[in-house]
Amino acid sequence: MFYLIGLGLGDPKDITVKGLEIVKKCDRVYLEAYTSILTCGAEELEKFYDRKLIIADRDLVEQGADDILADSGEKDVALLVVGDPFGATTHTDLILRAKEKGIKFQVVHNTSILNAVGCCGLQLYSFGETVSIPYWTETWQPDSFFDKIANNYKNQLHTLCLLDIKVKEPTLESLTRKKREYMPPKFMTVSEAAKQLLQIVENKKSEELIIGEKVMCIGLARVGSETQQIITCNLREMSEVDLGGPLHSLIVVGPTLHPLEVEYLQQFSLKKS
Amino acid sequence: MVNFTVDEIRVMMDKKKNIRNMSVIAHVDHGKSTLTDSLVSKAGIIAGAKAGETRFTDTRKDEQERCITIKSTAISMYFELEDKDLVFITNPDQREKDEKGFLINLIDSPGHVDFSSEVTAALRVTDGALVVVDCVSGVCVQTETVLRQAIAERIKPILFMNKMDRALLELQLDAEELYQTFQRIVENVNVIIATYNDDSGPMGEVRVDPSKGSVGFGSGLHGWAFTLKQFAEMYAEKFKIDVVKLMNRLWGESFFNAKTKKWAKQKDDDNKRSFCMYILDPIYKIFNSVMNYKKEEYEALLPKLGIILKHEDKDKDGKQLLKVIMRTWLPAGEALLQMIAIHLPSPVVAQKYRMEMLYEGPLDDEAALGIKNCDATAPLMMYISKMVPTSDKGRFYAFGRVFSGKVATGMKARIMGPNYTPGKKEDLYEKAIQRTILMMGRYVEAIEDVPSGNICGLVGVDQFLVKTGTISTFKDAHNLKVMKFSVSPVVRVAVEPKNPADLPKLVEGLKRLTKSDPMVQCIIEESGEHIIAGAGELHLEICLKDLEEDHACIPIKKSDPVVSYRETVSEESDQTCLSKSPNKHNRLFMRAQPMPDGLAEDIDEGKVNPRDDFKVRARYLTEKYDYDITEARKIWCFGPDGTGPNILVDCTKGVQYLNEIKDSVVAGFQWATKEGVLSEENLRGVRFNIYDVTLHADAIHRGGGQIIPTTRRCLYACLLTASPRLMEPIYKCEIMCPEVAVGGIYGVLNRRRGHVFEEAQVAGTPMFIVKAYLPVNESFGFTADLRSNTGGQAFPQSVFDHWQILPGNPMEAGTRPYGIVQDTRKRKGLKEGLPDLMQYLDKL
Repeated sequence: MFYLIGLGLGDPKDITVKGLEIVKKCDRVYLEAYTSILTCGAEELEKFYDRKLIIADRDLVEQGADDILADSGEKDVALLVVGDPFGATTHTDLILRAKEKGIKFQVVHNTSILNAVGCCGLQLYSFGETVSIPYWTETWQPDSFFDKIANNYKNQLHTLCLLDIKVKEPTLESLTRKKREYMPPKFMTVSEAAKQLLQIVENKKSEELIIGEKVMCIGLARVGSETQQIITCNLREMSEVDLGGPLHSLIVVGPTLHPLEVEYLQQFSLKKS
Repeated sequence: MVNFTVDEIRVMMDKKKNIRNMSVIAHVDHGKSTLTDSLVSKAGIIAGAKAGETRFTDTRKDEQERCITIKSTAISMYFELEDKDLVFITNPDQREKDEKGFLINLIDSPGHVDFSSEVTAALRVTDGALVVVDCVSGVCVQTETVLRQAIAERIKPILFMNKMDRALLELQLDAEELYQTFQRIVENVNVIIATYNDDSGPMGEVRVDPSKGSVGFGSGLHGWAFTLKQFAEMYAEKFKIDVVKLMNRLWGESFFNAKTKKWAKQKDDDNKRSFCMYILDPIYKIFNSVMNYKKEEYEALLPKLGIILKHEDKDKDGKQLLKVIMRTWLPAGEALLQMIAIHLPSPVVAQKYRMEMLYEGPLDDEAALGIKNCDATAPLMMYISKMVPTSDKGRFYAFGRVFSGKVATGMKARIMGPNYTPGKKEDLYEKAIQRTILMMGRYVEAIEDVPSGNICGLVGVDQFLVKTGTISTFKDAHNLKVMKFSVSPVVRVAVEPKNPADLPKLVEGLKRLTKSDPMVQCIIEESGEHIIAGAGELHLEICLKDLEEDHACIPIKKSDPVVSYRETVSEESDQTCLSKSPNKHNRLFMRAQPMPDGLAEDIDEGKVNPRDDFKVRARYLTEKYDYDITEARKIWCFGPDGTGPNILVDCTKGVQYLNEIKDSVVAGFQWATKEGVLSEENLRGVRFNIYDVTLHADAIHRGGGQIIPTTRRCLYACLLTASPRLMEPIYKCEIMCPEVAVGGIYGVLNRRRGHVFEEAQVAGTPMFIVKAYLPVNESFGFTADLRSNTGGQAFPQSVFDHWQILPGNPMEAGTRPYGIVQDTRKRKGLKEGLPDLMQYLDKL
């Protein structure tokens, strides 16, 4: 049996009872460690589960799927995913592979930032398409996500922006060599994301934009943990905000708000704090 | 020789209109170095203190042993024109008012094809070229190669017909035959010039013309030479005709009837070609009378020609006397130096039309204007064309030309390597120039500063540049264009130290070797092997010798030479290949197809290149190669290295966000074209088409990490499904030999898979020229083999000519290409066997 288990937002105890039971009985347990990270370390998980975990980086999950699935016909194998297993789009492929091989599987869901984001007071119903903001390089500076944000805004919708994390990414130079070198891990902060957005606004000056530096944003950090922080201000101010350690998310708020949303948001206002 | 102090030379350097920077180029053995010697002995500058020391053009020991030039040497000369000659300079930019003296910087470069890169480096820093042709053997393969290169660099040529003594003494040609020989050579040279230069282009007409005085005749060995100008001056008074007019009459279809004293345009019974009558006849008379020991005859002749022999020479006879007489009558130095000063352009003239070919940046920025006007007050722009080893082991002088501004000892400058791009910091150093030096043959002299239009050396730059580079003081300066070599490093050997503990010394030595030779490449394979790649067997032999004796100073083991191959395809992919990214959310659909014949060569020569305007390029591709116009406009890139002979074409329709992955696809393409699927050799002549792309909705899931490896896999799958083939390099060989040896040549060529495509007698000689194509792989030991089979009478000159598909399927065990692929893979430390398509191709 192959299990795909969601771990929730970060605290080791966020795992569901059902999930925990499965972890304890499995022969092999992998921990997926690149689409998101735990606010606690893997050691703490091992301690809590009282068992060894195998850390699965991008190469193993994407290219070594066969290793993970190997013998899961007879044995019980679990892959732990931070958040919800289907929150990060990559894992649908694993399920397809398992199906192809005739391996039985079970999914244990959990909370993901995609629903936990409700903590800021905005109604989940009025969110539009979710986007990711990737780290720009000197030569690669995509801005298609900006158009999506603008589209949401035009349709009176909020946009949840997931921010890039680089856990063990090969450097661009080493991609075309046989020996891989990895970048140091880094996590995008709300201020970095806001700066890239401002840069796009600047680049597109000539076009008529419906969102600019005055658009209202919400910065969220470490949602679901004890040190959770939320702040709301405009985009320009957001580029100066420091919300501490990872992980961060950013919301670009739609043009019109429900009165209840307004009232709830007021407690996070930058000016007030 | 002229004795000058550094200060006096420095004064001349400011008179930029009176400077001539020139190279001497020719086929091997046509007598460049001997000719250069006669120039230097007349006008070579030696700094006062050094006068009287060892020979000025003293060169490497191996050069003397082999009787060939290996490294180019720069020599400065000083020469004053007489008042009567000054009128021949009509362009005001060719001479400073009131200055008769000319500073001539001459670079003598090697003639053997294996060292063509030295010629390329020499051409870059000069504006004019003296093309030397042996009038007995005529225009040869290397003459053509270097001349073509010279024209491409916008170097103005003048021609010198050398070895006239051989034509007269050995071949005994009569006057008309000799005229025809000259005429043919001039035509041959002009045909090459016309092929590569446009008369209406910025350089204007560059054809050589004896009647204009831009063609010289003579013998470098005997030290005599003339142009029509010398003879016209002798006769001008007698005929009461202006010198210039007379020069026109002395060449071509111009005949004189001695009885009627009339000129005619056609040959009649009793008239004679003026060139034969007035120029060749007197020379023949001297030759005949002296060589046949007719003392009275020549003693009567000499005063008529105004030749006065020195007392000690009067007792000589035969060849010795002939030399003295000819040298006194027609001193080579005088005629050649006049030709150089009058017909070759000054930097002021040349840089005007060379700037756009030299500078990569916008043609109206400060640097561009500085170069165009050869302005010594503009920002510094200097091109370093080669590194010259110093007596201090491991250090090099950076040798080059100042195109704009001034370079001075101690000045702070930007040192930009060939990979520098404006605005970035890669390959850029800001350092002080330790010292500026004058390089005169082997000697160097420190000099305070050097203004634009001059050639000089720099100390302390070698550690920042590998081989070449640009030095500037202008912060926004772009690079001066890198040189394009006419030969490629197709022959390689692996080296290792005899004593493994010497490895660090070998690595250091290889670094120095890379620096000291403009073309040689030193590569470390993934297997850890050290590879040296050169133009040919001789080139490698010299490099290895230098490495062993000068650079590494350790005993070295070397492998047998191997050639590099190219990978290509012979058909279109039999399916549209799909590859998925690691996260499976991005899909690429592509096909490979062979380029039409000639396109790869067009790209090599730069006729089709990435910098072209895409519309102009598309029109060219549509007209010449029948490419679809909309597709031809969407060429994403060339590769490998952004310029190679493979292209990636976007044939998709309406794929959203495609531009966001373009850079990643291009990076994957560069990678795959550099290391092909068969044996990781470069690709050649392959066109890849992208037909469709499926992308993940979110930018973060389609970054380089996902797209680059996928592109490579997809391209590999395309190659494997398009009947991959190997290409091997082919030499064009010219073999000169007497008729009896021709049979032997055929035998050797047949054994080595070569084939003859032309065989002809050299007009007016008993020699034959056999032209053949020979695979480079079969060329090792060719020269020795040829000699032993022809009794030492045949001498080949081989130059890389083209790439040719090696017949046979490399994917089929037992074929020749299969064997080569396996050997290459083994050598490179790759997995043996064949690449597996399933590794690269994904299913929907």
